Amino acid sequence: MNARAAIAPAAARNPVNGARRGWRAALRDEWRMASLTVKLSALLLLLFYLFAAASPVIAPYNPARQWRELPDCAPMRPHLAPPSEWRRGFIYAFPMRLDNPLARHYVEDHSRRTFVRFFDRGHLFTTAPGAPPFFLMGSEGLGRDLFSRIVYGARVSMCIGLVGVAISFSLGIMVGAFSGMAGGLTDSAIMRVCEIEMSLPSFYFLLALAAVIPSGLGTTATFFMIVAIMAFISWAGFARVIRGMAASVRSAPYVEAARALGGSRRRLLFRHIIPAVMGFAAVSASLSIPGYILGESALSLLGLGIQEPAASWGNLLSQAMDPQTIAYFPWVLAPGLFISATVMAFNFLGDHLRDRFDPANSG
Amino acid sequence: MAAGLVAAAIAGCRVNRPPNDHAAAQTLYDATVSDPGTFNPLLVTDAASGGAIGDLFESLARLNPRTTLFEPGLAASWEFSDGGKTLTFHLRRGVKWSDGAPFTARDVLFTMRVIYDPKIPNSSVSAMLIDGQPIAVSAPDDYTVVARLPRTFAPILSSLQFSILPAHALEAAYAAGRFNRVWGIDTPPDRLVALGPFLMTRYVPAQLLAYRRNPNFWMRDGHGGRLPRLKGETHLIVPDQNAQYLQFKSGMTDVYGPRPEEVWPLEQAARRLNITVRKVGIDTGSLFFAFNRNPRHYVRRGVTDPRYKWFTDVNFMRALAHAVDKRGMIDLCYRGLAVPAVSDVSPENKIYHNPNLKDYAYDLKLAARILDQAGYRMIRPGVRGDPRGNPLVFNLTTNAGVPVRNQMCAIFKQDLQKLGITVNYRPLDFITLVKALESSFDWDCVLIGFTGGIEPNDASDFLRSSGNLHIWNPAQVKPATAWEAQIDHLMDAGTMALDPYQRAPYYWQIQQILHDQLPIIETVRAVTYVAYRNTLENYNPTVWGLYRPEWIEFRAE
Repeated sequence: MNARAAIAPAAARNPVNGARRGWRAALRDEWRMASLTVKLSALLLLLFYLFAAASPVIAPYNPARQWRELPDCAPMRPHLAPPSEWRRGFIYAFPMRLDNPLARHYVEDHSRRTFVRFFDRGHLFTTAPGAPPFFLMGSEGLGRDLFSRIVYGARVSMCIGLVGVAISFSLGIMVGAFSGMAGGLTDSAIMRVCEIEMSLPSFYFLLALAAVIPSGLGTTATFFMIVAIMAFISWAGFARVIRGMAASVRSAPYVEAARALGGSRRRLLFRHIIPAVMGFAAVSASLSIPGYILGESALSLLGLGIQEPAASWGNLLSQAMDPQTIAYFPWVLAPGLFISATVMAFNFLGDHLRDRFDPANSG
Repeated sequence: MAAGLVAAAIAGCRVNRPPNDHAAAQTLYDATVSDPGTFNPLLVTDAASGGAIGDLFESLARLNPRTTLFEPGLAASWEFSDGGKTLTFHLRRGVKWSDGAPFTARDVLFTMRVIYDPKIPNSSVSAMLIDGQPIAVSAPDDYTVVARLPRTFAPILSSLQFSILPAHALEAAYAAGRFNRVWGIDTPPDRLVALGPFLMTRYVPAQLLAYRRNPNFWMRDGHGGRLPRLKGETHLIVPDQNAQYLQFKSGMTDVYGPRPEEVWPLEQAARRLNITVRKVGIDTGSLFFAFNRNPRHYVRRGVTDPRYKWFTDVNFMRALAHAVDKRGMIDLCYRGLAVPAVSDVSPENKIYHNPNLKDYAYDLKLAARILDQAGYRMIRPGVRGDPRGNPLVFNLTTNAGVPVRNQMCAIFKQDLQKLGITVNYRPLDFITLVKALESSFDWDCVLIGFTGGIEPNDASDFLRSSGNLHIWNPAQVKPATAWEAQIDHLMDAGTMALDPYQRAPYYWQIQQILHDQLPIIETVRAVTYVAYRNTLENYNPTVWGLYRPEWIEFRAE
């Protein structure tokens, strides 16, 4: 995508590395220079994107499957099987039995064992079809496996940022760069429109728009509507910054030269002005992804985002809204940990990218 | 790890309670969810306003929630004559309004006149029109009111359950056409002229409503002692139920209606908190899946949507009724503290509830067989179609922000998925939902709850085909189906006899018809609980309200 295309040449041209080299080598150098935090962040994000890409494999169960006899079940403890049992499996757990339905209190049933099967029926790990389930992170209120739901929820929560950034940034760059290059009345007009857009109270605007999504839409369509709404709210601010950069680049000697040589408007825009602002755009993109993840969480928390039975980290976390639930079933907070980890990872990565590519630091 | 710490912090939290002075001051504290919208008893449309002024005003007769019979209120006695067509009330003497003026028949006549005024939008009037005709009232003297009915009308006492207004205080405003604006929430509480057990002293928006005992209240206990026994009441306004729960636990309020998941922790802490947790009974309302049968929704440009055929096909609906996992809903959404609902009338309504209905058992195999036999066969794996080959897909909604309903919809959706029926589920915020149900009719299936009362005729707007709350096809000009016509007829017949036991069979039959035709599929009814401080005496909640609330007091310590 745009962002990567921009990072690679920028990295290749970096004065620290000297000569122009392939992007693989550049990436290797970047990795060597990054701090441990940045490396961990990158690995974590890779893992979560793997969750999203390969959720049917990584998730042990169908995320919508309800074990109605096991609501709010605690995470099950995996046990290592003794060597004599290795032909049945290496890891087992004791099935849980609802002891007190009112308190949702469970006891482990030590008379039976559920063996975890690895690489079985297309899952990384799962249990036999008729056997009791193995809840790695517990179950939620309807007896659905929380871990499977988190893995599937990554599809929504990890992609929402990328899709949103793709929309808002392509819009922002195009509008901003064009406006900055054009100058004059066109520039003023476009910027006033952006300011009007920015002055809308974004969260309430989002609430209002989410309420008018037609009810017949499926989950995927709803998802894209939400992303599109969020992206259309956030492009204006970005366009203003890009416009400022473009306006200053416009009078730079190399642009003047290109213009003097008879370069067309389009050529000026795509060959000179947009590449000049790309570095900033890439940094800014990585820093704005968390905003989308949190925005979706907020909407889902209010029941306006992704709807049952589809999972997103935001709507999974909405169960943790009352102190009662947190006190007795603390594992419902797990999606929150995934959200914070992702947001932090993106912030560390974005900070790092800024330090590396911000023209002000390139000295 | 972090989650564990947070949980430990919350679970291990012991609030150091300041000793409260509720008992010493004989003031009962409880919590309410929202601010009132008006202090004008005739204009009340929401529960919050009703609760705010409920103790300020009285009606002619009072309902005893234990016996579910009417007892004397502002009317000391009454008698029927002329075959039930004339009702004479003998008003209580010596009752005074809070400004010292006596309560007389003039107040009753004034209130009736306001209710029947078409310019005053009020919810009492629909119950007081009998076959569209008003009740004629007259007052031969200051303490006698005679009501003449167009015909015998059994629910008349229930219809006359409106709050009596002070004529001397409001007549001038009414004559000037300002009635709709008097006694808004900006009225200083001491300007509200009342005669109930309590008088309002303070209203702080978003914080509290405070009341003091009415020293002139007419009721006395058996020993001639003055009632009410409490010296005051305070309703704290707390929008968040979690906050209400914590406030009760910390001693800021004295009574609390716990949600199912709070019952067990409260029972565990009962001794430490010195509280009692008591089962009150089965919810009196009804929570059901309704299916839209309104042709206005389905016929577009002469083409009828296939969903109209499905939802009016009794076999399709029977299959769906067998796919509602009530046991699962009870265990998952109510922690087991609920019972399956079979009829729209709660079993707590001992006389009018039909106990002979046989529930549709949860049986997906049977549901699939019924669908197959009715021509709804699988058209591809996981997708069932109607006899014309249209895949079975419909929308399901409910009001957003209610976790229990959200879960019930998820359960229903999952089970229908197993039958090959796709349900698009999306909750709507309450205003949007009401608009869809009442004006745009743009909905397929909704999970919705109605409150219920003792008098079965109160459900008239829901049961009659002409009613605005006849949710599956409201405000029909003439009944769309034979069974709806029969319900209309039974509703008329049920009001003709005066004796409840003679009336009951008509309403039992209505429940049977709804059960057979399935315009709605009943789900479950919560078993309600209440928790209150052990220092409270004579606190007797029932599903129909508090029994003898005037007797409540704090035990002297």
